[in-house]
Amino acid sequence: MSHPATAISSVKLAWALSWAAFWTGFPFKVIVALLLLAAQVHPWEGTGLITLLMVSAPIDIWALGLTARTFFLERMGIEVRGPVGIGLWWQGAVLGAGMLGVAYYAVGTTAALCKKAAEATLGVVKKVIPIPVAEQITIELLMWAVPATIVLIMCLLIWLKLFGWRIKRFVVASGQTSSAGLQERVREWDAWRVPADSVLMLISFTAVAVLLTVAFWVLLPVTTPHRHPDYPPPQADAVKKKVKPEELLKKTEGTLAKAEAVLGSLEEEKAKEKKGKPKGK
Amino acid sequence: MASAQPKIKSKVRCLDGEVGEIVHVIADPISLEISHIVVRANGTQRQVPASAIAAVRDDSVELLCNAAQIAGYPEHKPDDFLTSKQVEIPHLENKVHVEPGDLLVPFPVLEKSCPRRNFFAGFIHVIGALIALPLAWPVLRFITKPMYAPYDNHWIKIGNVSKIKTEDVGVQYIFKKAFTDSVLQREEDKNHWVIKATPEVLKKIYKHGDISFTDEKGEVIWVNKQTVPYVAFAGKCPHLGCGYKWRSHKTLGQVFLCPCHLSIYDNTGKVLDGPAPRPLDVLPIKVSATGDIEIIDVEYKAGKSELVRIA
Amino acid sequence: MNALLQKVYDFVDERIDLKTLEAKMMKEPIKGGSRWAYVFGSVLLFIFIMQAVTGVLLMFYYIPSADHAYASTQFIIHEVDYGWFILSYHFWGSSAMVVMVFAHMSQVFLWGAYKTPREMIWLVGLALFGIVMAFGFTGYLLPWDQRAYWATTVGVEIMDKTPVVGDFLARFLKGGPTPGQMTLSRFFVIHVMVLPGALMGLAGLHLFLFRSAGPAGPFRGTPEELKAKTDFFFPRQVWKDIVAMAAVFLTICSLALIEPVVLLEEAKPDPGDYHPEPEWYFLFLFQLLRWKIFAGEFGQFLGATAIPAAFMLLLAALPFIDRSPERNIFKRPIALLSWTVVMIGILVLTVSAIINREFLD
Ligand code: FES
Repeated sequence: MSHPATAISSVKLAWALSWAAFWTGFPFKVIVALLLLAAQVHPWEGTGLITLLMVSAPIDIWALGLTARTFFLERMGIEVRGPVGIGLWWQGAVLGAGMLGVAYYAVGTTAALCKKAAEATLGVVKKVIPIPVAEQITIELLMWAVPATIVLIMCLLIWLKLFGWRIKRFVVASGQTSSAGLQERVREWDAWRVPADSVLMLISFTAVAVLLTVAFWVLLPVTTPHRHPDYPPPQADAVKKKVKPEELLKKTEGTLAKAEAVLGSLEEEKAKEKKGKPKGK
Repeated sequence: MASAQPKIKSKVRCLDGEVGEIVHVIADPISLEISHIVVRANGTQRQVPASAIAAVRDDSVELLCNAAQIAGYPEHKPDDFLTSKQVEIPHLENKVHVEPGDLLVPFPVLEKSCPRRNFFAGFIHVIGALIALPLAWPVLRFITKPMYAPYDNHWIKIGNVSKIKTEDVGVQYIFKKAFTDSVLQREEDKNHWVIKATPEVLKKIYKHGDISFTDEKGEVIWVNKQTVPYVAFAGKCPHLGCGYKWRSHKTLGQVFLCPCHLSIYDNTGKVLDGPAPRPLDVLPIKVSATGDIEIIDVEYKAGKSELVRIA
Repeated sequence: MNALLQKVYDFVDERIDLKTLEAKMMKEPIKGGSRWAYVFGSVLLFIFIMQAVTGVLLMFYYIPSADHAYASTQFIIHEVDYGWFILSYHFWGSSAMVVMVFAHMSQVFLWGAYKTPREMIWLVGLALFGIVMAFGFTGYLLPWDQRAYWATTVGVEIMDKTPVVGDFLARFLKGGPTPGQMTLSRFFVIHVMVLPGALMGLAGLHLFLFRSAGPAGPFRGTPEELKAKTDFFFPRQVWKDIVAMAAVFLTICSLALIEPVVLLEEAKPDPGDYHPEPEWYFLFLFQLLRWKIFAGEFGQFLGATAIPAAFMLLLAALPFIDRSPERNIFKRPIALLSWTVVMIGILVLTVSAIINREFLD
């Protein structure tokens, strides 16, 4: 018996699911990343990375479940009961983690080896024909980046192959062929995108988003976190003079008294002057 | 091609005679060609595919089947179709003409369920609003930043008392004020009026006691006292902010007169005539031992009867 | 409340036939159904609107004078509340715009959507591509720091070498023989008035042409499948568009936070430690000009003028050369291969330019 799942290649299957799932989960992950960044935490290291990965897992499980069920129904005419997301995700994640390690090592080694080889080759070639710097950079880059990229793509393909193989096993084990026609199947997967109580969904989504926005406002620094050396931060008004009104007033009165005395004498002088002159204007 | 198109109300003839007339024409939204005609026969509307049409004449259409077979075609369901006016299918109406009446196109199945449409429509509005929201507060702060700048409480030297020759007469002091204007270090000409008041005039000016000045927090920063005979009036007319002058008036004598709406003030700053809502604004003043006049360039909002400090 | 809204709607409807307008705008059946691949155009429109909004905000504080441009930009970064964020958003928005233009053009190219009857949409699109690049080039000068000044100097010098019109073009942009206040004024007015006007006009035309010709739809699938998945532009495609816009918005915000704009020293006649370099999306061309074959006056002409111009001409002629109705990219090997080569070429040259920085210290 040929199962509909066997008609499609494992690589294509795994690619279709993981590509769609990646983009489905992406907007949610960026929200988390943005909040971390606003809080001056780098989401690519330390606690930031851990937080991001922790949040990503459930998002990925949901996204993978949704895209997988859609794909199975639409392309293969197969309905899968039960939790699809988690069933596929852990396999993809375990394979992915393993493959990531292998890829890191393989790509790193290839790049390092090829860089050395490129340097040596170019060193020899340069003795015969001179190579200008700009060209040398590009040639060297190609000499190590092409093999490294090929190794990377190989690793990706192997991961896809393995993951695809697991997905197929999963579909064969827990899927049932749907009897519905194409139109009905399309309708069905379209319906999965709409929750049972869509008003409740919309309201809660909005509420969460508003809360996150307020958090963003609170976290976002008001002035730049990367100041230019010529523009030092303001002295935080630490040396702000404490104004004591009573003292100020006393001082003021003292000044006034002094001024009055001087003025008095000035006026007297003026008065004397005026007497001598006729009134102007 | 256009002449061979089935028309609404054309008679429909089968191999064995007339069965009814065309009531609708249905087009395929992808090929932009007629896909079906809807024939009214024996009181029902039947959807006959274009492939069953043998020939199209001026006022009739001939089918490849016989009358009995008409009933075998599916019944026309109006809910499954839209008119070409209700949707946008480019070039459709150029290729298929149906007059009079409507050209029908299939109603996309995915668009039939209202709750689903509403869900997506709702989400569109929510997400649209949510894109704007994160920027709302930062943008508000961004544009309002310079609008509420702190008051400038610096003393500025505006001239020397020796310029005043006569008591109770307005003397204009034009001076340069240096200040930071965003990134610019600017100097601007400003003008205020100073009078050297006789005790009677002083008494009128200080009739409510000492005149004190406050900062944003309401803390007193300076007090003008009646013991100083010099009084500075801000050069800004309290009506709507024009610059006023010391002029002689036909009936009122020497007054401060604003040319904009003819507000007139006496030498105590009191409004004698015109639309001004309050007397001239008194500034904090200090006179040094050498007779230099210093003021704080306090500015109040024009057009208000009470004093509202703005700078 | 609803009754009032209905009244307002009816009032407008009676006068401008809102119902038909709505039907024509929103109820456009998309054969094969709405797709994420179709979001790029809408996303570009969104990025442009956001660039306009943030650009207008920046103009609240920016002073287009050679004496104050730098100080006022620093003022925005250091003094105005959230000014650094809005400036950084504008900066990263421009990069996003270029990336999305490439994505949009690639999608249209790979889907074969430039073919008959959509040649005019493609041509107007190419003009829009030029405008986006011009936006990047003119905006780069406005902060008037070392980076801005020197990148522009080099850019204008390159333009100067265009045969026949080069000298005029360079003088026109500089507003004289050497860069100065007139240059800043011209770049400013081109950036904030001329280009936005041109972009709005051409984008409107682009959309009008698109609506007149209709969307191309997927390049494969049986008519039955296409019909089964057909939905209207509104709401499903609009929903996809807006989700994509939100994702792009969040990404730009994140980039603004990761790498906020930090100016170098104010522009001065000595570049000092700074190695002049254009914005990253011009880097590949910049790196190309470092090659020996593009040295000398003729090489310069070849690399800076002839090759880019020939490439643009080729793109413009594309729908007229490639007349086969086949749209499936997997059945157009030459198209697929050329696209891949161009993309890899740009990538490799850009990375080379980055590696090249090490050789300058
Ligand atoms: S502004 Fe002076 S009277 Fe109106």
